[in-house]
Amino acid sequence: MDVFGSFALLLAFVCAVYAFAGGIAAIITRHPLLVKSTRQAGMATCGLIFLATFCLEYLFFTDNFSVAYVVEHSNRDLSSLYKVTALWSGMEGSLLFWSFLLAIYVISVLITYRNKNGELMPYVGVVMAGVQVFFLTLNNFVESPFKVLAAPGAGGVMSFITRADGNGLNALLQYPEMAIHPPNLYSGYTGFTIPFAFALGALLARYPGEKWIHLTRKWTMIAWMFQSCGILLGAHWAYAVLGWGGYWGWDPVENASLLPWLTGTAFLHSVMMQEKRGMMKVWNVWLVFTTFLLCIMGTFLTRSGVVSSVHAFAQSNIGSWFVAFMGITLAVCLGAYLKNRDYLATENQLDSMISRESSFLFNNLLFLVACIAVLSGTLFPVFSEWFTGNRISVGAPYFNRVNIPIGLLILFLTGVGPLLAWRKTSTESLKKNFGWPLMIGAAAGGLAFVFGFREFFSVICLTLCVFVAATILLEFYRGAKVIRARSGASYPACAIDLTMRNTRRYGGYIIHMGMVFVFIGLAGAAFNRDVQKSMQVGQSLQIGPYTLMLQGADTKPEQNYTAQRMLVEALRDNKPVMMLFPEKRRFAGNNQENGTMVAIYSTWKEDLYVVFAGMDPETREPVIHAFLNPLVKWIWFGGVVVVFGTIVALLPNRRSVLVLAPTQQPAAAQPLPHAVPSSVALREGHD
Amino acid sequence: MIKSHARIATCVLLGVAALPLIVPIGAEQFSERAKKIGSQVNCMCGSCSMTAANCSHPGGEFSGPCSTAKGMLQEIDQRAAKGETDDQIMQAFVKEFGSTVYAEPPKSGFSLVAWVMPTAYLVLGTLVVIFVISRWLKKNVSEVPASNASVKAVSPEFLERARKLAEQETEE
Repeated sequence: MDVFGSFALLLAFVCAVYAFAGGIAAIITRHPLLVKSTRQAGMATCGLIFLATFCLEYLFFTDNFSVAYVVEHSNRDLSSLYKVTALWSGMEGSLLFWSFLLAIYVISVLITYRNKNGELMPYVGVVMAGVQVFFLTLNNFVESPFKVLAAPGAGGVMSFITRADGNGLNALLQYPEMAIHPPNLYSGYTGFTIPFAFALGALLARYPGEKWIHLTRKWTMIAWMFQSCGILLGAHWAYAVLGWGGYWGWDPVENASLLPWLTGTAFLHSVMMQEKRGMMKVWNVWLVFTTFLLCIMGTFLTRSGVVSSVHAFAQSNIGSWFVAFMGITLAVCLGAYLKNRDYLATENQLDSMISRESSFLFNNLLFLVACIAVLSGTLFPVFSEWFTGNRISVGAPYFNRVNIPIGLLILFLTGVGPLLAWRKTSTESLKKNFGWPLMIGAAAGGLAFVFGFREFFSVICLTLCVFVAATILLEFYRGAKVIRARSGASYPACAIDLTMRNTRRYGGYIIHMGMVFVFIGLAGAAFNRDVQKSMQVGQSLQIGPYTLMLQGADTKPEQNYTAQRMLVEALRDNKPVMMLFPEKRRFAGNNQENGTMVAIYSTWKEDLYVVFAGMDPETREPVIHAFLNPLVKWIWFGGVVVVFGTIVALLPNRRSVLVLAPTQQPAAAQPLPHAVPSSVALREGHD
Repeated sequence: MIKSHARIATCVLLGVAALPLIVPIGAEQFSERAKKIGSQVNCMCGSCSMTAANCSHPGGEFSGPCSTAKGMLQEIDQRAAKGETDDQIMQAFVKEFGSTVYAEPPKSGFSLVAWVMPTAYLVLGTLVVIFVISRWLKKNVSEVPASNASVKAVSPEFLERARKLAEQETEE
């Protein structure tokens, strides 16, 4: 099967090269048969990548310990779920997984637009094939996952060998979220290839109008949703597995996943300027290019080891390949832009400084500043080594200090931006839209201060969260009120109706609300506290309102590990709340790795986070490390709301019946704006 | 019943047998000052990428400060007891481990660049955005005279209706 997989990968590479080179020839000659054959070569590439991936999984499931990658990342006792996830646990497999996910996107695009956009698709196909050629080069010639084990036998002749068992999967990766965190993150990284291919294709083809924007919007949103999910799942994994009580450590690889998310978010906002006003065409094209390049850079940072990271389980010296690919991509983008920049001529004009357009510009500025600040901070150790010979590390305290103010400004704009009108916003409109939310937000901030919250940024954050939530709820209320006046349905039913009539607008609001929840959770971090204590059975420790009593310990043998488990009873006001079972795990396999399983009692107010750290050297007593982390649950809940909002925004609008239904007055006689209370009714049916 | 007793006995035996597997590094309480300075220096064990105060040494046998982080926190307490200032303690670490010990770059020398950069991006970016917006505004003003003739021909009511309709149609 390893030979079969290896051959499938090689054939995929040949097909991708044909799709790329043949595609260029097809664009030049415009020969229909060539166009068709290159498209089919693109499909074949994807099919062969699927086959190779299936082969590697088959090798894992059949415990084929003659293949080096299987030996290094699996063992006989490894459960089926982790045999699936072992695919992306190391360098070779994760690169194949990159190709696999990209192939899903590519084949989806090729099938979706097989009979559409004939002028544009050959260009898009060439760009996609180009990216595939790069990754298949790595899969075939640099980091092949199908290498077999060999050792010198009698007379120095190399012969194949098979190990009795594998080394086992990295203990940190044996956690359910590892089954979904990397696929989500990779789906985000790979997904941004599609908007990139359309943007570069449209620029090369001088494809008229904003159609490429419309075509790629849903692909961008899908990639963005996966990226958001991947980031949050990664944060949750760090929280539940690493046992340090936090969820975001500004590790270089975490930062790398944030960078394309920031530019992708900026693009999803600024793209509206192009759709609605024909503005910022150059900016949007470059935002897409940058997002894609940052995706490649993210993969490069994860894989190359150029910066030290907790994600050290998939590193090798393939950095130069990525640098070369980024260089070529940048050169192609720059060349295409210089050649066809007149195609991106825009009609920029504004009526007022206070307008939706301005808010988008500032929104983009802040996302870009955050992105560059994170990027330069991440790479600063490398720069400092170049310039001074000393490597100066940049850790979490720096990133927190730099990014918290930027994040709060973005949060502020989240509340302000959507309520400003295009071109110009009147003073009355400002008062109407922001009067109440500002008052409610200020009152919330004041209350927080009165109740003893003294952390400056946390109070500001909570104030802004309430302000933004109020603006969003007010928008839903106004819209629902209009519909209710006509239909008489309940407010929630009207709000749902409203959302379904303009999914993009109200889905966007739901996403903003999700981000508000995330920020509420982040604000809680300023109040985290922890206690660590060696304990005997029957002893207790106090943290906040909780008493933790060690009730006992046991050992639980499982299929692939042995867990030493502490039985910790959590009491509040002397009343039992929950029994918690923090664990230390010793995994099977040649490497015998250790893992932590944190026990968490999570409420909307706070998380009681209990870690069994190990045994005290002197007393031989178990050490319990307890954290009290306020508001963390809001982060995960916010993530769910963001994903829900994105799905809503991806849905097609339901055709508005109410707006078009005849009212008591003839439609023609109805004065347009006056008869329509508030601003909602005529918005329906638009994006 | 016998079966469940046997299972409990097995668990207890395995529990006792597994105890030596856990490498013992204790839960020592450090001063608040050690935690504060410890959060400004990296754990120098070379494998965890965390600060000394927050080191949980993922994947290690002890989920708490590893022996290196623990040693660093102890050293902070010892130096503090001798009356050394925060800065002296930091400098002692820099002397021992080099500049990689900093969790955040110092605000002096080349490291100052790291602190100046984000502010510079923000200030420069804001200036660019203001410049761009004012250019777009000027462009709009300069285009007004050309369209004056047609504007005069349209009634204010019609203009108001058209403006509102346009606003609503372009509403996001």
